[in-house]
Amino acid sequence: MIKFLNPSYVFHLTGKILNFVKIFIIPITIIGIILSLFASPKDYIQGDAARIMYVHVPSAWISLLCFALISFFCILSFIFKIKSVSLIYKSLAPIGLTFNFIAIFTGSLWGQPTWGTWWAWDARLTSMLVLMFFYIIFIFSYKFISNPQKSSKICTSISVLGLTNLVIIKYSVNWWSTLHQPSSINLIGETTVHFSMLIPLGIMLFAFLLYTALIFLMKYRIETIRVKKKGLKKL
Amino acid sequence: MNLNVFLMNDYGIYVWSSFLVTFLACLFLFLKTKKTLKKLEKDFIKETQILSQQQFENLKKQKVAKEILASHSRT
Repeated sequence: MIKFLNPSYVFHLTGKILNFVKIFIIPITIIGIILSLFASPKDYIQGDAARIMYVHVPSAWISLLCFALISFFCILSFIFKIKSVSLIYKSLAPIGLTFNFIAIFTGSLWGQPTWGTWWAWDARLTSMLVLMFFYIIFIFSYKFISNPQKSSKICTSISVLGLTNLVIIKYSVNWWSTLHQPSSINLIGETTVHFSMLIPLGIMLFAFLLYTALIFLMKYRIETIRVKKKGLKKL
Repeated sequence: MNLNVFLMNDYGIYVWSSFLVTFLACLFLFLKTKKTLKKLEKDFIKETQILSQQQFENLKKQKVAKEILASHSRT
């Protein structure tokens, strides 16, 4: 575990994995787009508007996953005082924010033809917007607070608070009466999405995860070089 | 050619906009990250050039620095 948190080891690993990701990302994305836009069937109620799902759902999932990982690494860094962990959460935050923006924007584009409105102050939508604010505050905290200890403490507090918001996002459709539909894909319960739609959705999710890995690896290299650049003065 | 494939029964504007915005946001983040990475690598190399021979030898013992220097010499 400690080996995987060692920046030198991870930096070396990023170079290798980056090339691997670069080979697969474009063909998988193209296959995913073709299946989503042309090969998958229309929804029997929403028609072609349901195709927005193929970018909206993976984006929302990845934005939640990124914040959950950020919280995990912040807590890990806070408890065990491992400085190098900050490189991981600093690399994850901009990716999470981008996918959060995509999820909200595409959700709005999906809302207009299905609900007749671009936006509603519904529990799911509002909690996703709150997540965006958490991301922004989190990024500002490590960018503008120069004291590393203080920045780490603030980042951990924000991520723990944000973690409660993740629970609210997940259960908002069950706890309140919302315009947003309840989840159709469940790992434990019944999945109500047909197999013909699940395949393109799965491929798009995989493509988005590859993209997340690509940006994460590049960001990790950026953060490591920043630290090494500061170290040059101490040589 | 069947235009309805693109018009998607008048939902095309919403569907295509969604895919386009997603693509543009991802492309923007990728290009911005790539630019920053290249710039930082260049700056790092520049700063190593003003080091003394002894400092440079010490730097070359560090795995990360060695890899950045190696990747720069390849490009």
